[in-house]
Amino acid sequence: MIFNSIDFAIFLPIIYILYWFVTKRSLTAQNILLLVASYFFYAYWDPRFLLLLVFSTFLDYFTGIRMHDSKNVFWKKAWFWISISVNVGFLGVFKYYNFFAESFAELLNGFGLHVNVWSLQIILPVGISFYTFHGLSYVIDIYKERIKPERNFVDYAVFVSFFPLLVAGPIERATHLLPQIQKKREFNYSKSIDGLRQILWGLFKKVVVADGCAEWSNMIFNDTAAYDGSTLFLGAIFFTFQIYCDFSGYSDIALGTARLFGIELLRNFSFPYFSRDIAEFWRRWHISLTTWFRDYLYIPLGGSKGGTWMKIRNTFIIFLVSGFWHGANWTFIVWGALNAIYFLPLMLTNSNRNNLEIVAQGKWFPSLREVFGMVSTFLMAVFGWIFFRSNDLNHAFTFIGKMFSTSFFKSPKIPELAYLSIFFIIFMLLIEWAGRESKYALEKIDKVKFVPFRWVFYSFLILCVVVLSGKEQEFIYFQF
Amino acid sequence: MKKFIIRIVLFSLFFISVDKLLIFLREKSSKLEVDNRLEKIITGKIKADILVFGSSRGARSVIASQISDSLHTSAYNLAFPGSDITFHSFLLEQLLKNKYNQIPKKIILVVDDTDELQKSKSLKFRLDRMYPLVKYKVIRDELVKRKEKKPLVNELLVSHQLNKSNFLLKQKKFTKNDSIMFCGSMPISHQKKSFDKKFGKVPYEYDLKSELIQKIKAFNNFIDLCAKNDIQLIVVLPPNFRVISNGFENRMKHFVGTKGVVWKYEQSKPDYSDSDNFFDNAHLQKKGAVIYTADLIAYLKTAH
Repeated sequence: MIFNSIDFAIFLPIIYILYWFVTKRSLTAQNILLLVASYFFYAYWDPRFLLLLVFSTFLDYFTGIRMHDSKNVFWKKAWFWISISVNVGFLGVFKYYNFFAESFAELLNGFGLHVNVWSLQIILPVGISFYTFHGLSYVIDIYKERIKPERNFVDYAVFVSFFPLLVAGPIERATHLLPQIQKKREFNYSKSIDGLRQILWGLFKKVVVADGCAEWSNMIFNDTAAYDGSTLFLGAIFFTFQIYCDFSGYSDIALGTARLFGIELLRNFSFPYFSRDIAEFWRRWHISLTTWFRDYLYIPLGGSKGGTWMKIRNTFIIFLVSGFWHGANWTFIVWGALNAIYFLPLMLTNSNRNNLEIVAQGKWFPSLREVFGMVSTFLMAVFGWIFFRSNDLNHAFTFIGKMFSTSFFKSPKIPELAYLSIFFIIFMLLIEWAGRESKYALEKIDKVKFVPFRWVFYSFLILCVVVLSGKEQEFIYFQF
Repeated sequence: MKKFIIRIVLFSLFFISVDKLLIFLREKSSKLEVDNRLEKIITGKIKADILVFGSSRGARSVIASQISDSLHTSAYNLAFPGSDITFHSFLLEQLLKNKYNQIPKKIILVVDDTDELQKSKSLKFRLDRMYPLVKYKVIRDELVKRKEKKPLVNELLVSHQLNKSNFLLKQKKFTKNDSIMFCGSMPISHQKKSFDKKFGKVPYEYDLKSELIQKIKAFNNFIDLCAKNDIQLIVVLPPNFRVISNGFENRMKHFVGTKGVVWKYEQSKPDYSDSDNFFDNAHLQKKGAVIYTADLIAYLKTAH
């Protein structure tokens, strides 16, 4: 089931009514309902993979308790490595086996050895990268004695599979989400309104901006040879907004939906395209994954405390792993490496924490220096997304080669309807700029006390969503 | 909770009222079109003995008025550039469903060698021709059937019946390539700049594996509709600036069987290897269309 479907529009109110009317008196009943709803939500996509999710949940639940209860260091380590191996093993088989097998065969072919690799014709279970990371952080935290294991299976299972975050995050931490699951939730009018508002903004970004941009970016990326450099550049811009609005739209819907049930999820995006340098961009883009890698990979590797070479090594590792997390394709690895190259000069000159505050805080307009920073960071991101979007490296280099040819100076050729997408991009950017000091763009709109204005504004957003919805377009991050 | 529910109900009522205002937009969209052939089908205004169906090759290569004049009968061209057999099949279904349309005696289906039954970049179900006409229920139902729109929401909200193209409130105009004659035909009187004028002499293989099931179904549906309604079906192969594929021709004959006839132009005629008669490698220009239509008329005179 996907958020932008009629099925979800029916599912959500039913669960919401049951949650606040039928199970409101009992925490256990609330959590059981959330678990059943979450498993139904997941099985609706493909019931076979529900078994994998239940197994993964049970494994981490069980090993967590065994690890904590072990008096012996050997057994503690053993349970820890069993959990890590199985979790990473699942990811390896379902997500990376074919990539490694094919790359290995290509390597041998390069040496004149022709081998036939055994390819697995398997579907990637949706959300596996996300719920595996939930489980990994939980097990690592218990092993490091940062938390105690959860002994109530229902509570732990809700933590792993809470439906708003199940398939594309945010990647939660036990320290943040579990205490909320253990505490009885009470209905809160303001939170419910706020949740609906965030869902609406997420749907607008997904259905109106991202799906609109997808039409044009697909058209241009799928027929690179047919377009001038200027049109290819526009194609890259369309994809830049497609991926942002697709993923941040998903996150907004997830956060809003969770808030309807009285649960606050971790923030995943913080207006990344208003960043003034690439370090700030990475503090604002897919925050839950970036901080996960920081806490469970970068810091254990030594972080930025060692010498220059160690800093360079660790930076490359974290960006390459982050790229590889997105999928088994060299394009993602190059995208990760490119971002490491962007990031390194800032880190080596200790400038990576220069822009910690919100851009143009308390002001309407940014300074010229801030504009320059935002535009240059944005263009660097656009260049990186070309690799991310391309089918393979050859496609990416062809695209870039043609984009930077003399035809870059010709006027772009796009259909008339593409200008509508450009209008929606500008509209979205203006709203996000106005709301950039909030947790999400529309958070402070209730400060506008004139109710008819708010209702007309909401109606406009809903109308856009309803007009442009129809064929359900999956979220990009479902494939990761 | 009570306050929350009241707020939601009140806002929903407000939104539904706003949504109803879009009826104005829905009604206006059809008036901005210059090509009203689909609307004529929907409203039952097609009255002709001979109808032409097809994609741009049908629209540009067959001049219906020339047929009318020569055969002293009524002919009308319902071929839409960029459309595929699923769209042609839909048009014929709608035409036959509306009792105010005249059931034609003959249908000329101009097929695309080789895209007729295969996956194609340039031919599709012309959804863009549908949205300006969403004020008609048959169009809305077809969009739902094609999963472009959701059934329940489509009934409930006017906004869900629309598409972004409905918001381009601009009067459409004829273009150099898309001017429609009163008989529905769309001949072109110039050549494409990128036309290389090299006649393709090498025969090519027709790939059966590239055929799509939904296109085959639509093609069979088209043939069956003609047969059920006693319409004489003539499947015609228009000239490409290359030799014809025997594999494709045989495939057409296989599907049409005894329910119709397959006619192809005389390949050895010098006019069909003269680049002056072509717009590009796949289409005739007006000069060529006149010659081709004359050949087709000569065939129609003999065919019963």
